[in-house]
Amino acid sequence: MHEVTHETRNNLPPTLVAEFTELCTHYPERRAALIPALHRCQEELGGWLSPETLEAVAGFFELEPVEVFGVASFYPMFHLRPRGKHLVSVCHNISCDLRGAQDILDEACKASGCTPGGTSDDGRFTLVRVECQGACTSAPMLALDGVYHEGITPEDVHRILGGVQ
Amino acid sequence: MPSLTIDGREVSVPKGTTVIQAAEKMGVFIPRYCYHPGLSVAGNCRICLVEVENLPKLQVACNLPVTEGMVVHTGSEQAEDGRRAVLEFLLANHPLDCPVCDQSGECDLQNFYMNFGLYDPRFREQKVKKQKAVQLGPHVMLDQERCILCSRCVRFTDEITKTGEIGIFQRGDRAKIGVYPGTELENPYSANVVDICPVGALTERAFRFKARVWYLSSAQTVCNGCSQGCNMDMHYVLDRPHLNEGARVVRVKPRYNPDVNQWWLCDEGRYGLEWIDKARLQEVRGPGDTANADTNSGKATWEQALGAISKSLAEWKAEDVGARIGVIASAKLTNEELFLIREIFRDALGAQVSAWVPEDPGTCDEFLVKADKNPNTRGATLLNLTSPDAPEAERIVDEALAGNIDLLWVFGYDLVEGFGEQKVRELGEKLKLFVYSGTNENPTQALAHWGLPSAAYVEKDGTFVNHHGRVQRIGRVFSPLGDSREDWRILLELGGLLGLQLDWRDPQEIFLGLADAETAFAGMSYGTIGDQGVEVACTKPTEGVTAPW
Repeated sequence: MHEVTHETRNNLPPTLVAEFTELCTHYPERRAALIPALHRCQEELGGWLSPETLEAVAGFFELEPVEVFGVASFYPMFHLRPRGKHLVSVCHNISCDLRGAQDILDEACKASGCTPGGTSDDGRFTLVRVECQGACTSAPMLALDGVYHEGITPEDVHRILGGVQ
Repeated sequence: MPSLTIDGREVSVPKGTTVIQAAEKMGVFIPRYCYHPGLSVAGNCRICLVEVENLPKLQVACNLPVTEGMVVHTGSEQAEDGRRAVLEFLLANHPLDCPVCDQSGECDLQNFYMNFGLYDPRFREQKVKKQKAVQLGPHVMLDQERCILCSRCVRFTDEITKTGEIGIFQRGDRAKIGVYPGTELENPYSANVVDICPVGALTERAFRFKARVWYLSSAQTVCNGCSQGCNMDMHYVLDRPHLNEGARVVRVKPRYNPDVNQWWLCDEGRYGLEWIDKARLQEVRGPGDTANADTNSGKATWEQALGAISKSLAEWKAEDVGARIGVIASAKLTNEELFLIREIFRDALGAQVSAWVPEDPGTCDEFLVKADKNPNTRGATLLNLTSPDAPEAERIVDEALAGNIDLLWVFGYDLVEGFGEQKVRELGEKLKLFVYSGTNENPTQALAHWGLPSAAYVEKDGTFVNHHGRVQRIGRVFSPLGDSREDWRILLELGGLLGLQLDWRDPQEIFLGLADAETAFAGMSYGTIGDQGVEVACTKPTEGVTAPW
C-alpha cells in the first residue's frame, strides 16, 4: 500500500514547477493545465506516471490525488505502470486492419519480445495496440516513440525496431 | 416568477428553479439517479428525461431551468420511451445480482424498471466484469459492477465533507468509482454515501447480508448521540430474531430536516446505537431477602421496589428533611421526565436536584457533531436543572459522603465513571437509600441498593431540546425491553404512591403540563411540534445548517 504523505505531494522538480506555473497562465482555471502537465511529467519522469508523480502533481494543482488519478486513468496515453525504454504503438483501426495491421502487430511482437500491452523482458520495448493515430491514408503504420512509420510491411518492422538501442 | 405547465397544471416558481424542482413542488415525481437536492447538478444519468413542447429533443429535468410559458410532459409516451432507453443502457453491464444485493427492495434500478423497463431485454453480449466487495473504508462496501456512475458519492465527498476521497477512474464501460490507491473512505460522515447511492454499489458493511429491507419496520425518531438532535428513521425488526442476532435495531437512516441535519447523519451517531439492544438492565434488582443489605443482589418486582422507595421518601417527607434527598438526573432524559423529577423531588419533596454531571467534551466539528454528547442539555437548562440554577452533581455526591444526604437517586449517569469506584462504594454504605435507574449495566448500578431498569429513549415518547433550542419529539419505536419501564412511567407511579396530584397519564399530557408551567414551551403541544420540531420561545432563530468545515 502506498501512503500519501506531505512529502510526496510536494516534490516536483523545480524546472517542472516553473514550467507548470507558466503553463497555468494560459488557462482561465488552474486545473485546466492538468493534462499538459501530466504529459510533461510523463516525458520527464521515467516515461510513466508513478503514484509519487500523481501526488506531486495533485499537490501542485491543489487537487485531491484521486482527481488526478481519475484524469490520468481516463486517457490511454498516460501510463500508470512502468514501461519500456521505447514505446511502439501499432494502429489497428479499419484502414490499417484492411491493409494488414495484424501482420504488423505480429511482427512487432516478435521483434520487440512483447505481447500487446506488455513490456519486453529486457525492458527495451513496450508494445501497445491503439485505435487510430490519424495516418489512415498511408496505412498500415506504427509509431516508435512518437515517430510515425507509414505504409510499412512486416519486414520493415524488424528494420525499424532493430535500429534502436 | 416564471410560470410553467407541468402535466397540464400551471405553477409559478422562482427564477432559476429547475424543472425537476418545480415538479417536486407540485408533487410530481420525476425519476432521478444522479440528481440529489443536497448536491450540485451533474446531469449525467439521463433518467429524468421529460418532453418539453417546442423543443426538438427530450430534456433532462434536473438541469433545465424553467422559462415563462414552458409546457412540460413528464409522463408522455416519448418521455417514457426515452427513460426506457436510458435504463436499457444503464443495465447493459449491471450484474443483476439482486438476489444477493442488500439494496434489493429499495433500489431505484428496480423501482424505475417497474415503470420504464424493457421487460424483454435485448442485451446478449458479455457483461464487463469489475471488482465486487471492495472495502472502501470502515463502514462502506463498494460493488463496482452495480455502479451506474451517477457520481453522487463523488460529489458528496467533494462538496459536503470536502474530503474528496472518491473518484471515477478509467473510461467508457470500464469506468468505475473508487478511492485513491492506498487510501480509505474514512471521514466522520462516510456512511451517507450509502444513503445517497441510488443502487446497490455502495452498501453498509454493518448491514451486509443482515436482512432483506422488506422485513424492516421503520419509525421516526431523533439521534440522542449529541446535542444536535439529527432527525432519523430507525429501521428495526421484532418478529425475526434470527435476522440480526436478536437485536431489534438493524440500522438508521437520516430523515430530512432542513433546520437540523438536512439529509445527513454522522457515522458516530449512526453506529452508536448498539446499547439499545446489548447489556441492558432488564429486571428490577433490590436488596433481596436480607434487610438493610447494601447491594442489589436479589430480583424484585416493580411493586416491591416502588413501594419500598416511596415509603422511605414519605417517611423523610413527614420528618420534613427534604434537603436530605439528592437526585442526580441526566440530560439524556426527556423534558417530560425532567419536569416530573422537578415536580416530585424538587418541588414536592424539597430535594436537591441536578442534571449537571461532569463529563469530558467529546469529538466535535462545525457541521453536525457536537461536543456535548447529551441530547437534552438545553431542555434541562430551560427547566433550571443545570448550573447556575441547580447544584452540580459533584456537590450532591460530596454532601452525601459528608452525611448530609440520606437518599440518593441517580438517573442513568454512571457515578463510577465520574467520581471513581471508591466514592460510589462509600455512598452505597453511607446512604440509607441509594437508587439507580438506567438502561444499561454499569458499575454504579451494581453498587446501588435498588437497580431499576428503565426504557431506552426509543422505547418511550417524549421530547428533547437540541442545542439550537429546537424541541423535537423522539417518538416511540418499540416497547421497553424485558421488565424495563419508561422513566416517566416510573415517576408517575412514584408520584401516585406519594399521594401527589399528578393528573397526567402519558408524555403527551405531561408535556402540556410542562408547556403551561414554562414560558419557553408556552403554547406547544405534540401537534405543533410535528415531525420537524419547533423552536422554543426566546431563542435566536436557527441559522440553517451550512457547509461543514
